[in-house]
Amino acid sequence: MFGFLKGLKVTFAQLAHKKVTLQYPDVMPDFGERFRGVHKFSPEKCIVCNQCARVCPTSCISLSGSRGGDKKLHIDTYDINFEICILCDLCTEVCPTEAIQMTDRFELATYSRVDLYKNIFWLDDNRRRSEGIIESEGQNATGGGK
Amino acid sequence: MAEIRTEELLMNIGPQHPSTHGVLRVVVKVDGEIIKEAEPVVGYLHRGTEKLAEDLQYTQIIPYTDRMDYLSSMVNNHAIVTAVEHAMDLEVPERAEHLRVIVVELNRLMSHLVFLGTYLLDLGAMSPFLYAFANRERVVDYFNRLCGARLTYNYMRVGGVKWDAPDGWIEDVKTFVPHMRKELDMLHDLVTGNEIFLNRVKGIGVYDTDYALSLGLSGINLRCTGFNWDLRKNKPYSIYDRFDFDVIVGQNGDCFDRYMCHMKEIVESLKIVEQALEQIPDGPVMGKVPKILRVPAGEYYHAIEGTRGELGVYIVSEGKDKPYRLKFRRPSFINLQVLPDLLRGQTMSNLIAILGAVDIVLGEVDA
Amino acid sequence: MDFTWLDKPLEFSTVLNMIIGAVIVLAFILGVVTYTIYFERKVIGWMQWRIGPNRVGPLGLLQSIADVLKLLIKEDIVPAKADRTVFLIAPIIAFFPSFMVLAVIPFTATHVFTAASNVGVVYYIALSALTIIGVVLGGWASNNKYSLIGGMRSAAQMISYEVPLAMSMLGVVLMAGSLNLVKIVEAQQEFPYVWYVVPQLLGFIIFIISAVAELNRTPFDLPEAESELVAGYFTEYSGFRFAFYMLAEYVYVFAMSALGTTLYFGGWSGPFLPGWLWFAIKVSCFIFFFFWVRATMPRIRTDQLLSFAWKVLIPLALLNLVGTAVVKALF
Repeated sequence: MFGFLKGLKVTFAQLAHKKVTLQYPDVMPDFGERFRGVHKFSPEKCIVCNQCARVCPTSCISLSGSRGGDKKLHIDTYDINFEICILCDLCTEVCPTEAIQMTDRFELATYSRVDLYKNIFWLDDNRRRSEGIIESEGQNATGGGK
Repeated sequence: MAEIRTEELLMNIGPQHPSTHGVLRVVVKVDGEIIKEAEPVVGYLHRGTEKLAEDLQYTQIIPYTDRMDYLSSMVNNHAIVTAVEHAMDLEVPERAEHLRVIVVELNRLMSHLVFLGTYLLDLGAMSPFLYAFANRERVVDYFNRLCGARLTYNYMRVGGVKWDAPDGWIEDVKTFVPHMRKELDMLHDLVTGNEIFLNRVKGIGVYDTDYALSLGLSGINLRCTGFNWDLRKNKPYSIYDRFDFDVIVGQNGDCFDRYMCHMKEIVESLKIVEQALEQIPDGPVMGKVPKILRVPAGEYYHAIEGTRGELGVYIVSEGKDKPYRLKFRRPSFINLQVLPDLLRGQTMSNLIAILGAVDIVLGEVDA
Repeated sequence: MDFTWLDKPLEFSTVLNMIIGAVIVLAFILGVVTYTIYFERKVIGWMQWRIGPNRVGPLGLLQSIADVLKLLIKEDIVPAKADRTVFLIAPIIAFFPSFMVLAVIPFTATHVFTAASNVGVVYYIALSALTIIGVVLGGWASNNKYSLIGGMRSAAQMISYEVPLAMSMLGVVLMAGSLNLVKIVEAQQEFPYVWYVVPQLLGFIIFIISAVAELNRTPFDLPEAESELVAGYFTEYSGFRFAFYMLAEYVYVFAMSALGTTLYFGGWSGPFLPGWLWFAIKVSCFIFFFFWVRATMPRIRTDQLLSFAWKVLIPLALLNLVGTAVVKALF
């Protein structure tokens, strides 16, 4: 008959509970090693095998390379279209040299859709939060002219 | 004496509405307070997953399945991965099977917690939503450490799983199980005994087994009528035959029974997780699979027990690395059929209670 | 204890005193309401494992002021087909009884700003019923069928719960022997030396339930429920007029808590601390109880709500009244 009184007791007891609010953006969440954030690309490691572009389910990676003087392929351009990238991590899974990795950055919001096309310079410059601040951070981090 | 002429009102609920749990539109014909007819209109979240799958290799389809029933994405991954393994006759290593069962049952738990929170929020109680989500956050955190994402996991692969559990993960999940049991007691104290809640959900939206079977309902919507049918026990797949758990069956087929089935299934999922954590062996997490997956030509169907019912995958293959046609038997889409019949003759407040108890996710209704 | 200014002839200085008193009480009430809203969000947040507002100002104390400012600077939208005059005065009709009832509540022993009216209880009940007119007019004038339904439902609920509210108060009136709220507080200090909540426990429970229903708060807030079709009778109101309805609701929270304190918990009486501090503590406990119930309970359906009022509360209130009368006659 008085089941709701138990409910009142439960709610009252929660007043003493620890608060679970994370005061973002003053406090950044700690996501762990495997977090699938925005990519970091290392051009020196890339062998232009094209596996990442082929495996991408939404075809958001486009790249081009050329043969250098030492008969090896070097990467020229590497673009990821973050309007359609679903951060699924298949590209890092198939890369044989770990040239493309995922950092723990996730804040991609911009005022213009052009800024969501990230090119090779931006992706090279990107790094995990613990490894320092990116130069272009704080401004409207553009893709470098697309 | 002249009769009062009343008119029926054609009203629209949604697609933007706080309690339709997604973009569902329900067109109701109301006479005063009583609903005369109701018709759900779906398709506002249709993204063409099945059509897109015709141009994608099987591994590439897995991120798309995450987004169908986005509250239980591990279960969707499991569905398509077991369907392809079943079609290609592949072996999955033991450790991978155990990890799969752990994450699938944890995901079922998470989805039921969302049901609890949103159902009570629709009925007007604000607090259980926050308690449910705070507990769910712990599991989301475990999944984040495991596979890098909070909602769309893309964790399973044909032949195994993508990552092995990181160090300390198994122990942390072991501490979660007793914690969740205590939290569940707290939630029961808060909600289940509450007379106001009971008056709103008992005896509402009743149907019997014959009706449920004729519509093809599955999962909790079928078991609440008293019919014992769970694919994990009746047609075992993966390693579910090694675990000891009960199938939760209701009695009356009303909204309260559906609510209680959800709550008790959380307890059963915790039991399975506990046993799987005990039994997990060491070993590889990915089996021997060919580099390019080609399903032999033919038609294959495999279904698993999803959180909302029987989640089936039907593959028509021509022997290539991309399917010719991939069809998902989505439980929410089929469970939504009960809505017109259940709503006839109910008041508008009961519409909210009934719609919440059917437990649909629009990503799965529309795919 | 003496009402010198009541016995004096009506001079200009007396009128000036009265006006200044009313303005001071109004300002005080606005301050109380602002911080009631802030504390509601904070308390409910704490019960839900969250921090409440904490960014606007230190500890979020300026949050309500920011909200009120936002409402004041919004565009004043009056629907085209709405009945303009009625639309404009409906919030005012809803608000001013809530402020007027505070005149009879004794805040302290010296009755600063209190009209020690010999019909205090009746005055309170009568005026709180006027708010219902404001609600119905608001629903009607919006020219929106959903607002009308919401307004009718709200009016039905408030009228149904006025009856048990009044009847539970009659038990206290019987025990104190007077309708004057000041005399009721003083009577609680005489025999039987306990606050009236003890002998009148049933009446108190009925009072609390009816008060929550009168205030349109959870679990009786179906007219305002967002998950229903409509936002109730104030769907079409925005900006300052919406603020009036909210203001009316929160002033009523204070007024009902003050009434409950006066009738059942001895008003300003208590050892050691000054009277106004005891009054504030007791009213705060009442208001906390309203927040506590809001954080816990789901909503009751309209038909269950009305049948609960007529079939359960009114018989119990009658029982309470008859029992009190019998006990009073025997002893």
